[in-house]
Amino acid sequence: MQPKIHVFVKQIIQETPSVKRFVLVSKEGADLPAFSAGSHVTTFLNTAAGTLERHYSLVQAPAITDHYEIAVQLHAQSQGGSAYWHHQVSEGTELFISYPKNHFSLSFRAKHHVFYAAGIGITPFLSMMAELVAQGRSFELHYAAKSREMCAFYETLQKTYRDSCHLYLSADPDSSRMRPDGMRQQRIGTHVYFCGPETMVNQFQEAARSYGYPQQSIHFELFAPPAPMLREPFLVELWQSKRTISVGSDQSLLAALLAAGIKSPYSCRVGRCGTCAVEVLSGEVAHYDSVLSEKERAAQDVMMTCVSRAVHNKLVLSL
Amino acid sequence: MSDQLSRFPYPFNSDTYRYSNNSVLLDPPIAIEVTPEYLEEMTLKRSLLANHPNRCYQSLPHTIPAQWEIASLVLHHLHETYPEDFSLTKEGNSWTFSNHKLNETQQFVFGDVSTLPWEPLDFVGRHVQEDLILMGQRDGDLFLDAGQLCFPANWSLEFNLGMNFVEIHSPIPGFANGNLDEKIRNFIMKLEVGQPWVRRNWSLNAGKRLDASLETFHQWGQMRKQVTAENAGETVYLRVEVQKLFRLPRSHAVLFTIHSYLITLHELAQNRAYLEQLYHVLVELPAFIAEYKGMKLYKQQVIQYLEYELQKERG
Repeated sequence: MQPKIHVFVKQIIQETPSVKRFVLVSKEGADLPAFSAGSHVTTFLNTAAGTLERHYSLVQAPAITDHYEIAVQLHAQSQGGSAYWHHQVSEGTELFISYPKNHFSLSFRAKHHVFYAAGIGITPFLSMMAELVAQGRSFELHYAAKSREMCAFYETLQKTYRDSCHLYLSADPDSSRMRPDGMRQQRIGTHVYFCGPETMVNQFQEAARSYGYPQQSIHFELFAPPAPMLREPFLVELWQSKRTISVGSDQSLLAALLAAGIKSPYSCRVGRCGTCAVEVLSGEVAHYDSVLSEKERAAQDVMMTCVSRAVHNKLVLSL
Repeated sequence: MSDQLSRFPYPFNSDTYRYSNNSVLLDPPIAIEVTPEYLEEMTLKRSLLANHPNRCYQSLPHTIPAQWEIASLVLHHLHETYPEDFSLTKEGNSWTFSNHKLNETQQFVFGDVSTLPWEPLDFVGRHVQEDLILMGQRDGDLFLDAGQLCFPANWSLEFNLGMNFVEIHSPIPGFANGNLDEKIRNFIMKLEVGQPWVRRNWSLNAGKRLDASLETFHQWGQMRKQVTAENAGETVYLRVEVQKLFRLPRSHAVLFTIHSYLITLHELAQNRAYLEQLYHVLVELPAFIAEYKGMKLYKQQVIQYLEYELQKERG
């Protein structure tokens, strides 16, 4: 569905015992698309278990477009993504990646940016800091790692951002812990950014709110692998039309409606424009669109017929 | 079917019309379309820009990097899509753009505004029929940060500069029902690089007038009073805007292009299916939409004209 870029791995750098940095170059030899600070790409990994989609931040300065760099930490409980990168990929490996996407952009109006990173959560902040330096804007980084040896990008940070960078080494008894209370001392107009494990992000978010930071001044990023899509056939009962239609496993609900002669509205057919929304009277919906908010999804009273499906075998729609 | 009618971006796919986000993925992903009206429309555009610069061009100072992205996109699309009419050569940052249709060549240093006679957005806008709007995506919202707008359908760039998406659309009656304004804003904020979108918007125009700016309403608004069932075929135009949306990768801003097309109802009626569908759409159209689209004063005259044409064809 989404356009992809064919790349190969030009170089692999062992950053720490558990983090590798990969340099990706276009297979066609062209420049890669420019990107904005905080962007990531989706990598499509062809494993024995099928294609895995994994998201990784671009870690170089945004002005550089002749290659991309990502950094991958090997997870002990890898669901396949990081193990594949660490054990299957070598220099020369070819793969497809998405165009850069940005769900974690820098605030335009912030007077000062404060980044909190735990472990591999450092990655999105690398392009952000490069951007802020280029723009002459003010920031500081707080970064927690186990030890100096396990601290990815230690050399770069020391060399480039020594004055803006505060390191916290949890295995070092002489080092202090990274704590949220530093946010109390910041001036009004400061924006805070968190990236790391869910517990850390939640702890810092709650603290920031309790100190009085406006919600718009709090930014965070969590990477979660997308849930695999259900493809089971199901039935839809149409309340106004007094009909029941079956949706095949290789067919969208919208396609089934149109094939049955139901005038259901639609436009984009990829779950993005929102035109095909219909009212759901009962049944549980598996949402695959990018239109509805979390709250609207949870309400289970509307769905996008072009991509979303039934969790169980039946839905009742108002159509 | 005439050449003009076969090229016309007909906007309806149903006998009823309501506000919606009727966007589809743009394929091929090209921002610019050069039509046989090119020279005529460029002459008009250049004269509007010369005589009414503030009405036709506005920008906020932080937009220069995103403007360069737009300039690059537009010049590449022109050169790659119409290589016989437009050429672009690059040696490092030294770019040379030639417009063979207008017999103009511009050399400049990409990224250095002092080497162009206008800001980058204002420069490339002078070579395309499209109006070009730059929407900045900042702090979870979309703002009208810059634009070159010569052919507005009853709105003002100077008035709207700096407003956010919801503020800009607040004059449209019913547009916020079901939070459609916020839903469309959120859709645009999720635009991705490499996946541009397109939609068609429509209205009726009394008189042939691409420049229907709010600032000149006193000139063209009067035409609405002169429409009769007898002259509607020649005096009333279906106006369609082909609107495209591109994510700009480096600045994360959005380029919104508007290409406006006009066709007389008489010409449109040569296609029987179009004639019938436009008739049904107008008969069913709720008053609040008809009023916003500016056709309240002459909608009945247009419907009478279309009825007459339909009966004539039925014999």
